[in-house]
Amino acid sequence: MNQPAALAATGVTKAYGRQEVLSGIDLAVAAGEVLAVLGPSGCGKSTLLRVLAGLERPDQGRVEAGGAAVTRPSPERPMVVQGSTLFPWLSLRDNLAWGPRALGDRKAGAIVDELLEATGLTGSADLLPRQLSGGMRQRAAIAQVLANGPPLLLLDEPFGALDAQTRLRMQEWLIGLLADRATATVLVTHDVEEALLLGHRLLRLSHRPARVVDEVRVDLAPPRGRATLTDPRFVALKASVLAQVLDA
Amino acid sequence: MALREVEGDAGLDLGEVLGPSSEIATRRPLSGWRRVLAGLALPAVLLATWAVLSGTGVLSDRIFPSPGDLAHSAHDFVAAPRRAPVPGVVPFKGAAVRHIRASVGRWAQGYAIAVCVGLPLGLGLGLSRWMAAALDPLYQAVRSVPITAWLPIALVWFGLGEGAARFLIFIGAVSPIVVATADSTARVPRQLVDTARMLGTRPRDLARRVYLPAALPGIVTGLRLGLTLGWTSVIVAELSGSTSGLGAMMFAAREVTRLDQIIIGMATFGIIGLVGDVLLRTVARPFVRWADA
Repeated sequence: MNQPAALAATGVTKAYGRQEVLSGIDLAVAAGEVLAVLGPSGCGKSTLLRVLAGLERPDQGRVEAGGAAVTRPSPERPMVVQGSTLFPWLSLRDNLAWGPRALGDRKAGAIVDELLEATGLTGSADLLPRQLSGGMRQRAAIAQVLANGPPLLLLDEPFGALDAQTRLRMQEWLIGLLADRATATVLVTHDVEEALLLGHRLLRLSHRPARVVDEVRVDLAPPRGRATLTDPRFVALKASVLAQVLDA
Repeated sequence: MALREVEGDAGLDLGEVLGPSSEIATRRPLSGWRRVLAGLALPAVLLATWAVLSGTGVLSDRIFPSPGDLAHSAHDFVAAPRRAPVPGVVPFKGAAVRHIRASVGRWAQGYAIAVCVGLPLGLGLGLSRWMAAALDPLYQAVRSVPITAWLPIALVWFGLGEGAARFLIFIGAVSPIVVATADSTARVPRQLVDTARMLGTRPRDLARRVYLPAALPGIVTGLRLGLTLGWTSVIVAELSGSTSGLGAMMFAAREVTRLDQIIIGMATFGIIGLVGDVLLRTVARPFVRWADA
């Protein structure tokens, strides 16, 4: 993709005390692109995403979004993590309205109605988060951050806590949602299948301290979904990436 | 109190902390009539045992008055005609309303001050690592001083009377409010705060919009403990020269060895403490219902 980068990280290095977590990470994601970041558990993927979100400062290197340095969290690049990030004391409707209300958007009600429709949660609008299933909560958490219409989305293993069937349904739903909105996305996962199904490009990280080991372009015809999983090109790509991961 | 560093606790799984799949052991409460029956069973057994022991003479009146004597005294306390007040004398007959009103009034005033001081102080300790580091050691030392040890200094500072009483009730009530507020504020999952920031919430609004509501179930527990401990401090407070109030009545009864009056005072303390707790829980319930498992 030759579009300008929605987010770019250059030489990002981060350590906690003497423990180096990230080592000179370079990455860029273009508008509308889904960049899957694949790495073993504990390699520093979540730290990388927190740095990209502006929740943590890199020790070295630079993160830019829309040409401006990222120094603090912003509604322009929200992050969704594994497990619900909904506010448990608020109804689903009020959770979705939080962002637009915080930014003083007078169309909060209409935005929420649209998102409830898009997530298939209209009938659950007045329920508390604990009254929703795991899959519903994750859909709602993604809808919550999309309410501010961000150009970039950061996803940290958002479906990691779900069972396999629900995860696949959620992945299909997310593919459609991101395509409709042309939202640039950085998806962090340790699941090769998820990375290839959702990502347009795949960035593989090493064990801690995380470095970029290689980059794979995922040229699979849209629309992607459960049929993609049996596409010979997908199967071959998955075998190739799995071999690299297991040999690392 | 373990005051955690708010920004230093990475990796909380919010689904586990707050979701319905919570690992926290919870039991379904008993249904209404079962709860009432279970609550009444033990007092009924104790009452029957007491009546039998008193009736057979096993339990002497000098150790514990009989249920009949106690009922008679309770009737005097509540319904006997009031006598004209005599300066320096703490009345018993017909004085229930007067003593209850005096004690509850002091309790309410001391508790209100404790809430006004305890909530902001607890929030500050929970939110600010610097404030926690600076104040926590001193605060832990101060709160370890027993309530009775505050009595002499309260009398020196405020003299005999209402000021000392309110101060002692405040001291009794404020600690659990501060501890619970600070601890539950410091334990608010970082993911909630991060999400609020990423949704555009201004940093100055985080305390009001995120920390306070998220910590509210813990704060309510502190408010309940503070209410109870404030109420138990009333008896100490009424040692500070009061001629009205349940504590003053009980100490006057002790001087003339009226065990029945002392026990009536204790029972009244228990009933009013229970009513206060039920009222507070009822008021708080709509705000913390979301945390019910």
